[in-house]
Amino acid sequence: MRVAQSLIAAAVFWPMLAAAAGYAIGKKSRRARDAFVFCACVIALLLSMSLSLWHSDAKLGLVGIGGVQLQFMLDGFRTILVCAAVFLWIVTTLFSPEYFSGKQSPERYWLFNMMTLGAVTGFFYSADFFTAFIFFEITSLTSYTMVAHEGNPVALRAAETYLAVAIIGGLSILMGMLLLWQRMGTLAFALLYDACTAMPDKSALYLPGSLMLVGFGAKAGLFPLHIWLPKAHPVAPAPASALLSGILTKTGVFGVALVSCYLFPADEKWSVTLLAFAAITMLLGAVLAVFSNDLKRTLACSSVSQIGFIVIGVAMQGLLGDHNGIAVRGTVLHIVNHSLVKLVLFIAAGVIYRNRHELALDKLRGYGRGKPLLCFVFLMGALALGGLPFWSGYISKTLLHESIVEGIHIFAGFPLAIFLHALEIAFIVTGGLTVAYMLRLCITLFVEKGDAEEKSKPYVSRRSAVTLVITATLLPFFGILTGLTDTLADSGSGFFNGYAVYQAVAYFAWVNLKGVIISFAIGIAVYILIIRGLLIRHRNDGAIIRIVEWPGWLDMEDLLYRPLLRGLVLSAADLVRIVSSLPDMLARGLISSATLLASAASLPDRSAQAILHYSHPPEKEPNITNRFSVGLILVGLGICASLIYVLIHAL
Amino acid sequence: MKSDLLLIVPILLPILTGLLTGFFRPLGKPRLLRPFFVLSLFLNLALVIAISLMPEMRLALFSLAQHMPVLFKADDPALFFCLLTSVMFLFAGIYGCEYMKHEGGESRFYMFFLIVLGMLMGFGLSGNLITVYIFFEIMTLFSVPLVMHSMKKEAITAGFKFLYYSIAGAALAFVAILFLFTLGIPLEFTPGGVLNAVNVAGSERQILTVTLLAIIGFSAKAGMFPLHAWLPDAHPVAPAPASAILSGIITKAGVFAVLRFVFYLIGADFIRGSWVQTVWLSLALFTVATGALLALREPVLKRRIAYSSISQVSYIMFGLATLTARGLTGALLHTVFHSIMKHALFFAAGAIVMVTKRTEAAELRGIGKQMPATMWSFAVLAISVAGIPLSSGFVSKWYIATGALSAEIGFFAWLGPAILLFSALLSTAYLLSIAIDALYDPEQRNAPGIRDPGMLMRAPIILFAAAAIILGVIPGFLISFFETIAIAVT
Repeated sequence: MRVAQSLIAAAVFWPMLAAAAGYAIGKKSRRARDAFVFCACVIALLLSMSLSLWHSDAKLGLVGIGGVQLQFMLDGFRTILVCAAVFLWIVTTLFSPEYFSGKQSPERYWLFNMMTLGAVTGFFYSADFFTAFIFFEITSLTSYTMVAHEGNPVALRAAETYLAVAIIGGLSILMGMLLLWQRMGTLAFALLYDACTAMPDKSALYLPGSLMLVGFGAKAGLFPLHIWLPKAHPVAPAPASALLSGILTKTGVFGVALVSCYLFPADEKWSVTLLAFAAITMLLGAVLAVFSNDLKRTLACSSVSQIGFIVIGVAMQGLLGDHNGIAVRGTVLHIVNHSLVKLVLFIAAGVIYRNRHELALDKLRGYGRGKPLLCFVFLMGALALGGLPFWSGYISKTLLHESIVEGIHIFAGFPLAIFLHALEIAFIVTGGLTVAYMLRLCITLFVEKGDAEEKSKPYVSRRSAVTLVITATLLPFFGILTGLTDTLADSGSGFFNGYAVYQAVAYFAWVNLKGVIISFAIGIAVYILIIRGLLIRHRNDGAIIRIVEWPGWLDMEDLLYRPLLRGLVLSAADLVRIVSSLPDMLARGLISSATLLASAASLPDRSAQAILHYSHPPEKEPNITNRFSVGLILVGLGICASLIYVLIHAL
Repeated sequence: MKSDLLLIVPILLPILTGLLTGFFRPLGKPRLLRPFFVLSLFLNLALVIAISLMPEMRLALFSLAQHMPVLFKADDPALFFCLLTSVMFLFAGIYGCEYMKHEGGESRFYMFFLIVLGMLMGFGLSGNLITVYIFFEIMTLFSVPLVMHSMKKEAITAGFKFLYYSIAGAALAFVAILFLFTLGIPLEFTPGGVLNAVNVAGSERQILTVTLLAIIGFSAKAGMFPLHAWLPDAHPVAPAPASAILSGIITKAGVFAVLRFVFYLIGADFIRGSWVQTVWLSLALFTVATGALLALREPVLKRRIAYSSISQVSYIMFGLATLTARGLTGALLHTVFHSIMKHALFFAAGAIVMVTKRTEAAELRGIGKQMPATMWSFAVLAISVAGIPLSSGFVSKWYIATGALSAEIGFFAWLGPAILLFSALLSTAYLLSIAIDALYDPEQRNAPGIRDPGMLMRAPIILFAAAAIILGVIPGFLISFFETIAIAVT
């Protein structure tokens, strides 16, 4: 048992130590630092793997840290998340040296990058909300530095938005935690689960639950707090974008899952509300992606949309109660899939950016022509994301779809069924939009002819190429070996209190394939009719004349949040300024009138003058040094003398 | 009895050495003056530590009137206050040795600095209300020259403002003292209060009223509304080490006086649930919000930090006002943590102003490249002020908030934490943003000569920034110490 506990502590704190060590090494040698960071990530992977293999239910309490107690626990789902996180870190670490080559050595980036890994691990392993919150906040701060890394005005503004959302969200979580603590007397997940399931009326929990949902949802990119995500992810360096999209959004999702699974297990109202927000997020993200003319922004918007899919899974497992096996499976798998897909796609985007220093799609036309490796990698990601059979996305999306269909069956005849029908339609349409925006990316990069075409120049190092290909190959691998993924997913069901799946899912049955065919049909139609027809205007020779993007005035941040926050804070500040200056004005008034009286009664000059200093500041610098200080010194001397006298007297 | 006389030494020693620095001519040379100054601060700290290791001491000097002795007592809270003060003065003094070189008027500054330390020692060790009052007043008088040090017009005006507000506040407290004295209530500090059914019979309402007067009066030093207006004027005009002391320790003297008055004389039980508590809670919360909002709109760096002090010290007031052991523990924790943070923030601000000659927060974009140690420490401190987890600010905020939630104070139970969090949010906007702009904005103003200050100034900044984190990670020993104090009085 002691071994397991030290392993947990090591898994959490090793990356943080390595961060400091890496910083020191990086000052000396860049190559040594790159090697060290890679080794540190591998060690982190070994730690989490050995934990998952031999101590899969270990617990650890660290008393006295941060005022209370840090508590960690393990289960299947947490292990999957941590392993996925460390895997992403390893891959991005392999790619980073190439991405940053030719620039100033990014010491600061590495310092915070590794600290983020430790904090993410700690967050996923946390066993109570207190611990979760501490590590969640650390990830917010350390990942801020990843967004702000480039240091240009766009990046700084995006980072500012990110930080503001993260901090407001963090405080919202804290408030929720405080209220939860007040109402339930504990923050430990296991105790909360028992107490909450025993509670017939959950209305006292909705306020704390919602406050926490705001915080975690903001990090996940859930509507209406998704605003920061499409701005922050693209401006980060590509390896950091991959981590932000792949893992850091998942910390938000994990938080939402914590609230849903431990506070509101099988609670209908909560699940339906969550479902509604998730559905809007899913659809809106995809629409934003369709309108995007920027490679990384498309991918970031796609992340918003995919997070919507995942949260639908989280909500469905709560709604379905003891039929939630399929929903749980879908959720777990889609989290893993989305992490891998975004890893592959963002790194591919990083390769492109490193060569062209350009992300606008109309300036990248045809860049990928004649680059089979890039094409392969990108295609794997696109197909997995689009959900073509035999690619991983298909499996998880099918499971999520099945869970909605199951919900329709269970709630048949209730109003809820209509809602679920609408949800199913939105699900399929979003699937179509996903196909459409990925089609736009692929066709622009690899089919269209354009000025970005360049050949016979090495565009990616061998190491990155091998890493990318291996990672990309995982996607069809996970799509074909459904037995493996089922086992993987079911190992995570303990967290969700998932019930066993009653019958094996026939992934490649006609019912499920039909959904994909509809989605692809919609996708192709959207691409041809809307994207080619409306959004991009071509001249006869194929050159682009005009591109329609998402209108700037519809940006919720500039339209709503910033003015609202500014207005509220500034008007509140003006109000309190007036109120708080009242006593001072009163004092001035009193003193002025007192002075008048004093001069009328012809008090000695000096005191009147002293008072006047306050009510009417003197024009000239007065020579008060002699009067005032000397007077004080005399007082001091007097006190000393009397104290010494007393001392002698007492002796 | 004889060994108890040791209690006077930490009071007398700084006063004597202070007078020596001011008047003993051979000490006037900087090479002698500064070591002597730092040495006396060290000695004082050593004395306080020695006293804290000895069994509890009690020393009644002479009586001002019948049953009104000047009394010193080294109980837990007294030792806590004296230790905190000595440590902070030591570091502020070390910082001051370099800072005052540029400011000028060294011997005068050191003299008043030491005398104020002596007065604060007396204040901390006071065993009854009269003694507290005497030292409180004298300490005010001697800290005025620290505010006025530059002798510029605004400094003198601010100094007088400080003086008037403090005296007005003390006068309010004096009313309470006289009233309690005429009732024949013994004014010696006793954990849990000295009131009982016999000695308050018939005058509960008057006692409640004078309690509120005393709270408001003593809180003038702590910058609580309505007697807060002097603070944003007085703190920034003083030289940086004095600003740090004013914000970090002298505001805490106000807190400490309130703590003594409410928990050691009146007793928490007496005002729990009364209208006095409600008014106190509202004033504290209003000040928390006000300070933060005004800080946000304040362009001048040092004034902004002073406004932040108004907000943060009222966190402590709110913690006290919950009248719960948990809230009180949080308040005492925040007393220590805020003292550390504000010292370091004013140190950093002083360094920035001294090196760059820029006073406005907006002018500091991009200077992090040239002053990395200062600005990184500033960032860490800002994080701690905002109370982000694993910084010390989080621990105290957690205790204050949970204390409020477990107290029976009606809607204040959740409104309080909400306002604390709101002010934390604003603090990221008014402090953390400065650090971020300084560190991440690539705009380089290649003004020559901008670099981190010398070792004597840099070391306290970095040390305190580190302490703000370390004490947040392992606050256990502080928490258990404060819990024993808190449980004894609630």
